[in-house]
Amino acid sequence: MGTDAFEITVNFVKMVLIFLMMVQIVPLLVWVERRGSAYIQNRFGPNRVGPLGLMQLLADAVKFLTKEEFVPGRGYPFIYYAAPVVAMIPATLALNALPLSIPIHVEAFQMMGSSWGPYIFKFQGYDFGIGIVFVLGVSSLAAYALLLAGYGSNNKYSMYGALRASAQTISYELAMGLSIVGVILLFNTFSFSEIITQQAGPLSFGFMGRNVEIGWLPNWGIFYQPLGALILFAALFAEANRLPFDLPEAEGELVAGYHTEYSGFKFNMFFIGEYGHMLVASILMVIFFFGGYTLYPWLTPETVAAWFTGFSPTQASLLTALVLHVVMMTKVVFFLWIFIWVRWTLPRLRYDQLMDLGWRTMLPWALFNTVATAIIVLIARTGGVN
Amino acid sequence: MLWEAIGFYSLALFLLFFAFKTITVPNPIHAALYLVLTMIGVAAVFFHLGAEFIAGVQMIVYAGAVMVLFVMVLMLFDLRAEIRSFSRGLFSGALKVMSAAMLAGLALGAANSSVAILEAPAAPLGGGDITRQLGIMLYTKYLYAFEILGILLLVVAVGVVSVSRIKGGTHARH
Amino acid sequence: MPDIETFMHIGLPHYLFLSAILFSFGMIAVLLRKNVIVMLMGIELMLNAVNLSFIAFSKESGSLNGHIMVFFVMTIAAAEAGVGLALVVSIYKKFHEVNIRFFEHLKG
Repeated sequence: MGTDAFEITVNFVKMVLIFLMMVQIVPLLVWVERRGSAYIQNRFGPNRVGPLGLMQLLADAVKFLTKEEFVPGRGYPFIYYAAPVVAMIPATLALNALPLSIPIHVEAFQMMGSSWGPYIFKFQGYDFGIGIVFVLGVSSLAAYALLLAGYGSNNKYSMYGALRASAQTISYELAMGLSIVGVILLFNTFSFSEIITQQAGPLSFGFMGRNVEIGWLPNWGIFYQPLGALILFAALFAEANRLPFDLPEAEGELVAGYHTEYSGFKFNMFFIGEYGHMLVASILMVIFFFGGYTLYPWLTPETVAAWFTGFSPTQASLLTALVLHVVMMTKVVFFLWIFIWVRWTLPRLRYDQLMDLGWRTMLPWALFNTVATAIIVLIARTGGVN
Repeated sequence: MLWEAIGFYSLALFLLFFAFKTITVPNPIHAALYLVLTMIGVAAVFFHLGAEFIAGVQMIVYAGAVMVLFVMVLMLFDLRAEIRSFSRGLFSGALKVMSAAMLAGLALGAANSSVAILEAPAAPLGGGDITRQLGIMLYTKYLYAFEILGILLLVVAVGVVSVSRIKGGTHARH
Repeated sequence: MPDIETFMHIGLPHYLFLSAILFSFGMIAVLLRKNVIVMLMGIELMLNAVNLSFIAFSKESGSLNGHIMVFFVMTIAAAEAGVGLALVVSIYKKFHEVNIRFFEHLKG
């Protein structure tokens, strides 16, 4: 956590801020989703409250807060109340482990009569060396929220939704993990920040003792792992329970799936969890395959730092980190928009089609991708010798 | 030192509480959910011991996959709380508790005597690169065992499918 | 009489004691519970306790062999859970009961 009071405070505030970011992005995404769906389906969407319907979010919040609390009589109240809370935990923990910009270097300074610093603050809640394993482990807990909701409601639609959700999560976790193995083999590390650092600069790699460099392309993972990127993106849709994989809450068959019995703010918490998952999924895609917070050749840590030469080192570091954060969030927002775009474009899969896709298509291709990546990486690193 | 002790004791307290609830609650689904919390607690203890990678694997394998399967199967059966969830018979029950207590005593005694053997701890594990060393060891020194585990998993997968196969269903082709 | 230092200085024995208590909890579940699934859960608890002592020994002895062993135990545990649950599912389909008392005639 830190060595002195200032560092501990800042680290704690950082975590709270990242959580608030996740919560605050939800109403915006709901607005984008409703306006975007209206745009795709040639409707108007919410346009009465405020300019462009933006105040609709506030009206929604008031509605959620003032709705009647309803607890199913024959359910299990504790589990029923626990489920929405559990829904928010995995996304929050995973989001805190993801680096959102470069570290901020704070010079030594005077405050309240004593000297503090220097510090290095990472632009993330906490940084373990094994970030990828932590994020995978935490997001595998997401199935419990749905299971608890289904069981606690004691409603057959909720139960069907919960069972579908857990089967789906287990099935698609395999393909997701295997496609990430390709990335780990490629970058030779478990740490997110190191993956981003390796993607800086132009596309260049050594192969069989020769160095290939293509100056006009960035060194992004997507050029090395196109199949892995595709499989990971599809599996992330399934993990976030978004259409075309939203069988757990298929409203045509199961009323509303696992959150049939939830109303008001508890329903909203499930919503926050789902959008948090989307956010984590988009950030993972950006980190693994699209260069994280760098945009070669215009916006790299060096070029952005050169803009702020007139400022003090602390200010320059802070401003650089913020600019790069904006760069990263722009990419993330693009992927969030793809999530919404796909939802209003593709039809829902049938359940056996979903299982077929997971087990018979994505898993074999992910295995193939892993083996092929391992062989190619071995040849490229050792030059075909040994 | 103080913080390490506080961390260990609070973790151990939670862990033992959850484990105790796992084996005493009558409703099997509640038992499974308490066991999930126990697994997460064990992962936290692994983290406390500096085995971050193993902690992550514990979360993925136990909490994320095995226990989801347990909870799913229990929900499929739709079992209510059992009236008599423990074995009947005062005498046999007492015998079983006594044997468990004897085993616990043996384990504690072994733990106590093993401390003498390991009095001088060897060099601590080298820094943050445990995961890399682990991978290298797994694929060189223990490669044979690793391959055998792969074969075991294959056999188990085939066996499980053949044991629990349902005749008919959506995939039946007659 | 152990002094305060024994309690404050967290070392191998503390982890081993924790592991032993967890192990006996798991064993009590296997011996006393009648629900087959809860008995399987007891086995998982015992395996976890063993993993805990492996990791503690590994840290104390400074070698990674314990970590490797935990890997193997986890794999076996996952396989065991899969086989056990498949058996329970097929038993349930036949008897509509998961209480161990109902298939005592399997004893022969």
